[in-house]
Amino acid sequence: MVELSIGQEVEMEYGGKAEVLGVIGGGGQGTVYLVRYNGMKWALKWYDIDKMKNPKSFRKNIQNNISDGPPSNKFLWPKYLTKETPDGTFGYLMELKPESFDSFVDILNTYKLSVNPLTGRSTKTPVRFTSLYAMVTAVINIVNAFRQLHRAGKSYQDLNDGGFFINMDTGAVLVCDCDNIAPDGNNFGIGGKPGYMAPEVVRGIAKPNVQTDKYSLAVVLFKLLFRGDPMEGEKVVRDVCLTESSELKHYGQNAVFIYDPDNASNRPVRGIHDNVIKFWRIYPDYVKEAFIHSFTLGISDPNKRIIENEWQKIFIRLRSEIIQCSCGRTNFCSMFKQPDSKSFKCPQCGTIFDTLKFSNRKNRMPLYVGSVFYTCEIDPDSEDFQTIAGELVENRLKPGVLGFKNLSDKTWSVKMPDGDFYDIPPGKGFPVWQGLIINFGDVTASL
Amino acid sequence: MSNEKRGAFGAETAAQAKARAIEEAAANLMKNASSVAARPVNPVASSLAGLAAAADQTATTAKKSAKDALREAKTVSKTVSSAADDLLDFDDDDPLSATSVSKKSLVIFFLIDTSRSMVGKKIGELNTVMEELIPEIRRVGEADTDVKVAVLTFGTQVRWMYTEPILIEDFEWSRLRADGVTNMGEAFRELSARMSRNSFLNSPSLSFAPVIFLMTDGYPSDDYKEALEELKQNSWYKYGLKAALGIGNEANDEMLEEFTGSKDTVVHAYSGGQLAQMIKIIAVTSAQIGSKSMTLSDDVNHELSPEEVRAAKQRLLGQQIQDSMTNLGDADAISFDTGW
Repeated sequence: MVELSIGQEVEMEYGGKAEVLGVIGGGGQGTVYLVRYNGMKWALKWYDIDKMKNPKSFRKNIQNNISDGPPSNKFLWPKYLTKETPDGTFGYLMELKPESFDSFVDILNTYKLSVNPLTGRSTKTPVRFTSLYAMVTAVINIVNAFRQLHRAGKSYQDLNDGGFFINMDTGAVLVCDCDNIAPDGNNFGIGGKPGYMAPEVVRGIAKPNVQTDKYSLAVVLFKLLFRGDPMEGEKVVRDVCLTESSELKHYGQNAVFIYDPDNASNRPVRGIHDNVIKFWRIYPDYVKEAFIHSFTLGISDPNKRIIENEWQKIFIRLRSEIIQCSCGRTNFCSMFKQPDSKSFKCPQCGTIFDTLKFSNRKNRMPLYVGSVFYTCEIDPDSEDFQTIAGELVENRLKPGVLGFKNLSDKTWSVKMPDGDFYDIPPGKGFPVWQGLIINFGDVTASL
Repeated sequence: MSNEKRGAFGAETAAQAKARAIEEAAANLMKNASSVAARPVNPVASSLAGLAAAADQTATTAKKSAKDALREAKTVSKTVSSAADDLLDFDDDDPLSATSVSKKSLVIFFLIDTSRSMVGKKIGELNTVMEELIPEIRRVGEADTDVKVAVLTFGTQVRWMYTEPILIEDFEWSRLRADGVTNMGEAFRELSARMSRNSFLNSPSLSFAPVIFLMTDGYPSDDYKEALEELKQNSWYKYGLKAALGIGNEANDEMLEEFTGSKDTVVHAYSGGQLAQMIKIIAVTSAQIGSKSMTLSDDVNHELSPEEVRAAKQRLLGQQIQDSMTNLGDADAISFDTGW
């Protein structure tokens, strides 16, 4: 492989040169360098073409991706190709990952390593979501990124833990390694990992496509929430040494979900899979059922896999079911007591939470200062899961009086304590009371 | 008296409680002792004996009350949780507090010849490159694998650098010195003894098959054949990723091939520059391949069988080592075997 040295210049396809400033990291297909091009810093992925089966068509595919552009701003997409060197080696420029994003690998490790360049010693810094909101938002963002990609008719092909960066404060997501992305059905000789690849790809009987992406997506989501491998339980651990043939067996022909309700042979093992055992207890049933579906029916029948839109709905619901109690307890409402069908009670401090019922869904949203709902939750035509439409706040002039603030751009009609409906334009608020009804247009909500 | 003895924060610790109990018992004993002072016994001795007995008793009482408390706690928790499952020992239900995902473990064994002929540039170069190498392969395991390193040296004596495999993040290279003959056979025996679930490969979770990297500049002084045959019976060795590096003209490639089981995974360094590059290439490549699941390629068009994937990683290692060698420049032309 042709390595680049610091200070070396690489000619770009449409003129100009990128100067190599340093190494960012290595990967299966090549090395990523920090470069300067047109006065800006970029990441240059430089291929080891010896490891490629067909560098020409691979290059052509990147060229197509560049001209198509990214499906959304959630992708660190290829921007410019380099010229080919005489032996055919090439690379592409992409934007640098912002400092505030952590890699999925570090998230799963729960720490990141920084190595002192002088001594070679390493120190660990914890990597952890700063709020439950940020975590569930990250999950929604990942699902949404793949929805956008698949709607653009493309598949990611080798989805794995190296493919994402996440902002642990906001839940913002960046999908990287977009160079293998190809129109659904096309393949350029991708290598993948058995733990992430769909069983039919592991077995050799199918090529990566949109349906196999869906399996890999379920694995990524499972790992992010449950912090364990969905197929690694007692049955796998009993093998002691994970050889190639045991991987083929446990991730291919004989893959068994650790919580398969009809097959208890591969349950997680206490002492090894403690995360999964703990988190499986915490998540509400509808989340667990989606994973059970994905990893039982979805193992053998790709068409039974959960589509991105379903995942998105599930996690938008999960986000609306987070309770932040003033005593410090933050959890999903499934982990709070339910004294009656309309309220939740904190098992730690006894605080009671009233709930809001929306006409477009069965579950009720718990209310506390700071609880929010989003545009997509009150407008059936909207897919905007990022813009907050309403927030529960305390009246600035009357301490202790709680009400909703209209943060949307539409006027709502709200039933007030005098029994009449009033228009509440954007920016205005209204008190929460026992007979409250909010009419958002197509959706109504009541206490 | 007991009240002043309480901890600064008001709460009495178990240790303080016990100390207080003993003190009180001692005070009572002293009282008793003085009242029976007429007896022809040493009052100090009797009080000491009494003290010991009192201490024992306190301990027993403490144990008993702890047991009672535990029983009580169990009853309470049973009534509290109607689910009454066996998961009650997880008092932590914070969805954000996770530990690292369960990792597989990979041990990289370096088998290094430290016989007399390695003295000078060879061992110097080797020490330097190994020092530099360790930080480079630190992140290779990513989120899947804990990578550990074990170094076995063989000269006249066969010796482990550390008494157990060390996590690569904590590993510090201790510089090797060369002396003596090449007891490679003994090294094979030692390796085979340690490559066991009861010894170096004792991870409670899953392991990847180990990486075994042999570096030597000569021919074994002892009878290595029998030891190698024994080693080949070890399952970890069978599934392991094996590579070997011959240093200088004396190293015997056929013998090294016997060790790795394939020609592709044997390379030969004739100069210091080559040695440094080759050690890095082999160590990094084998650590990368060894610490991950096998790489699947999507150009297969039929159901894979276990036989087809057997030793897939070893083949990939051979391929990648050979690819890297063809691109290797001859960094310095002065051979190891000249200019001494």
